[in-house]
Amino acid sequence: MSDTKEVMKLVSPGSVLAQIAAAIPADCRRNLTIIGSLAVGYHFFGADNTVMVRTKDVDCLLSPRVEAVLSGVAIAERLLQDHWQFRHDARWSKPGDANTEDKNLPAVRLHPPGIQDWFIELLTVPESPIDQRKRWLRLKTSAGHFGLCSFGFLSLANYQPILTPLEIHIAKPQMMALANLLEHPMIRPETMSGLIDGRAIKRSNKDLGRVLAIAHLSIAREDDTLLGWPVQWLPALQVCFPHDWHALARRSGDGIRKLLDSPNDLDEARHTCEFGLLTSQPPNTEQLRIVGRRLLQDAIEPLEKMA
Amino acid sequence: MKADYRPDAVIGHTLVDVKRRTDTVNTVRMALMQLAYALSDRDSQSAGFLVLVDPKITPQRLLDEQRYAQRTLNPKVAGRLHVITYHNGEFHGLPHTFNPTDRGELLRLVEQVLEMGGTRIPSTRIYYELLRVLVHQWLRNNGPMTADWLATKTGCSYPTVAKALEQLGPAIKRLSDRRFELAYFPKDEWARLVAVSDRMRSTMRFADRSGQPRSPDSLLQRVQQFDRPDLAIGGVFCARHYYPDFDLIGSPRLDLTIHCPGHYADLTFVERLDPALEKTKDSREPAKLVLHFIRREDPLFEKRTNGLNWVDTAECLLDLHEMRLESEARDFLNSFPVARGKV
Repeated sequence: MSDTKEVMKLVSPGSVLAQIAAAIPADCRRNLTIIGSLAVGYHFFGADNTVMVRTKDVDCLLSPRVEAVLSGVAIAERLLQDHWQFRHDARWSKPGDANTEDKNLPAVRLHPPGIQDWFIELLTVPESPIDQRKRWLRLKTSAGHFGLCSFGFLSLANYQPILTPLEIHIAKPQMMALANLLEHPMIRPETMSGLIDGRAIKRSNKDLGRVLAIAHLSIAREDDTLLGWPVQWLPALQVCFPHDWHALARRSGDGIRKLLDSPNDLDEARHTCEFGLLTSQPPNTEQLRIVGRRLLQDAIEPLEKMA
Repeated sequence: MKADYRPDAVIGHTLVDVKRRTDTVNTVRMALMQLAYALSDRDSQSAGFLVLVDPKITPQRLLDEQRYAQRTLNPKVAGRLHVITYHNGEFHGLPHTFNPTDRGELLRLVEQVLEMGGTRIPSTRIYYELLRVLVHQWLRNNGPMTADWLATKTGCSYPTVAKALEQLGPAIKRLSDRRFELAYFPKDEWARLVAVSDRMRSTMRFADRSGQPRSPDSLLQRVQQFDRPDLAIGGVFCARHYYPDFDLIGSPRLDLTIHCPGHYADLTFVERLDPALEKTKDSREPAKLVLHFIRREDPLFEKRTNGLNWVDTAECLLDLHEMRLESEARDFLNSFPVARGKV
């Protein structure tokens, strides 16, 4: 969920997940779900260490929220004890302290010892289904104070996660796709703070590009897999957003439709796929557009109709 | 051409031919001639409308063409022939005497053409339609037929049927009650049809543009969801229906046949079937979906209670030939008792 100035690095999802699983205290694993590109990469490429994806941050979602602070502190302490290092950047050179406002606290972003290619970032689920704004919980550790961020539709990524053989959960790709679809009902102008292979990219295009990448990988595994998504999405929406699920389902395709209608935005999405999850076999813009149209027909339109 | 020409519609006493986005004068000229021939066969009350929807030809050029036609044709026919243009919801050149009810019907016809995406399917040689029906009847062992029956099924005239039967010569077995049927499988005539079958059936091929082609099985499952009684499944899937021991694993493509007795076919379902499908004219490019068109009056589809119909046996056999599955086509043919050991 964070940005960097440097190009994202090629990493093997299987090997990174194994390192994380080994580092997380066993009694905290049940509270942690890996989300984002590493989870997608692991889901599709599994233990095949020859397949690489480009990423830089490994997003770790802590839940339930009432246990998130305790788990977050325990994980951070354990990693720091194992010589994981605080990731400095231009805005945050060190952890906060008791005087730092919640909103100015740095996230828990830690590099494994001796590895600068990737880092983990701790997040948590929103407090209530009606609060989608960015919120911070304070984590007090021996190294200083950190912020545990929650926002948007992260609870969907936490819906019925998959337990891997590494005894760590990863989010279902289709749930991450739904979370991103709902997060971006339009193409907002804000760009990522870092460049992706030299290009400034709108965050909406990066996240909606992720949706297309997930759909592309899913289709590669099985022709008609997208047809099964709406029947999985619907109960997830009903559980996570019991009051708003109708409205959310009905607008689930707004952003992707806008993306497909805008050649420049679609090209940005393609760029993020090429320098992200689909780096092994990047699709061209037309192929990505087809993925989007298939997604609309097979998954989004049926969901909209159900609502 | 005279007897077997069929306009797109007959509204009252008016024969109507609709052409969309016409860009060549030759098309207009040919359509006028066809209407003129048809009118010469009808009473003086009848009229012929050539309706050009959003034509690409200039109004002056169209006017010139009408004048040439009027100068050339018999005045009794030329006076009843009208070129009408339709643009932005308005008709131009519609005779004032054309009554409002018929005008409404004409408008509906034009709107239907526009909704269908305007995919115009060219006419084919009626002889080959007749041949396919004869072969199907023979393979299914449906017994002898009358000329009237065959003319009705194919939508052609009695003389056309008679001429076709004559061309088939000894392959036709005639009974004392004037009924007839095939005496044997007409190999040579069939081979001629196979050589031109893509043209005769206006075959359209669609290739995958996604890099992740859907399997023909997936396309088949999806197309079954459409409520389209004018569509029928052909190819390998259909061959397995008629011949369960058909010896081929999987299917390289999905063959569908569309019944379009008018000139226009609704192909909007292709996008719904798979947005990755794009029409290709390159015969070397592997097609995932292949469409064929039947213009005759009765498509002879085999009805199913659930899902799309099956094409008739002759269409299915042609599909196998088109896929270059020659050995499988031979086995398919031999699976019918009437053909076993005779082809």
